[in-house]
Amino acid sequence: MSNSKFLYVTYIRTTAEKLWDALTNKDLMKSYWFNMHQESDWRAGSSWEMKDSKGEVWDSGTILESQRPHKLVISWQHRHHAQARAEGFSRMTYLIETAGPLVKLTVSHESDVENSDLIAKVSSGWPMVLSSLKSLLETGEALPDPRKAA
Amino acid sequence: MSKAKQVYVTYIRSTPEKVWDALTNPEMTRQYWGHSMVSDWKPGSAWSLRRISDPNFSAACGKVIECTRPGRLVLSWSKPQDPSVVSRASFDIEKIDDEVRLTVVHDELEPESEMLRGISRGWPIVLSSLKSLLETGRGLDSDKLFRR
Repeated sequence: MSNSKFLYVTYIRTTAEKLWDALTNKDLMKSYWFNMHQESDWRAGSSWEMKDSKGEVWDSGTILESQRPHKLVISWQHRHHAQARAEGFSRMTYLIETAGPLVKLTVSHESDVENSDLIAKVSSGWPMVLSSLKSLLETGEALPDPRKAA
Repeated sequence: MSKAKQVYVTYIRSTPEKVWDALTNPEMTRQYWGHSMVSDWKPGSAWSLRRISDPNFSAACGKVIECTRPGRLVLSWSKPQDPSVVSRASFDIEKIDDEVRLTVVHDELEPESEMLRGISRGWPIVLSSLKSLLETGRGLDSDKLFRR
């Protein structure tokens, strides 16, 4: 295998517009992304940054494609841990499809690096974030950070 | 050629016992899976996933390999029409404060098989619906999603 890839699909009882807003609005993001958030104007060619509550940048990249409310493709470089940072840019895609009263969200995150450290890290992170996002949209309340459990 | 494996992890605001019951109680599975999961849940016993509209039709069946309520369930997994092709589904249920991490590993799959395609599409539907049922009291319309 020549590259690394994470793929996740979740079905959410919401609309494509509400899901898009949850994926791109930094205040909504903070509530389900365990106090992390992305900042960008989400236009193709613009930059984006992932920051923690202290403003430290953990990841950053460029918006490659932005079709509200159906598709977002961004380049993604980790900035915090040296090994993942040295891998350079990965690519992350949100695909949002309406399925009757539901929305199907497909998240793929891939890297050209074999056995990528970044993809290994995000593979455990995405299920937490996307489970919390689904809870927020369906119940009004996101999940607590499972990494901070007693 | 080595066998294929699919992993799906979801976090649910629930308890391990409720997640366990949702996976093993036919009255619960029909609410989010559109099928009744039927077994006496003893190691070595048979299980089958029966269509509600036609209980004689099983979508999948197999044997209970391991059953430790509420933490771990392992099933052998086949299509009734092709019982010689056997894969394996493992469910690990972990309590993390007020939520549960449910990890479903479906392995021992033939690469590029119809079964691999089916379960890769199916688990996200079933487990999204399970999470909705436990958190909101209402599952998703899995049948409709399967037919799309």
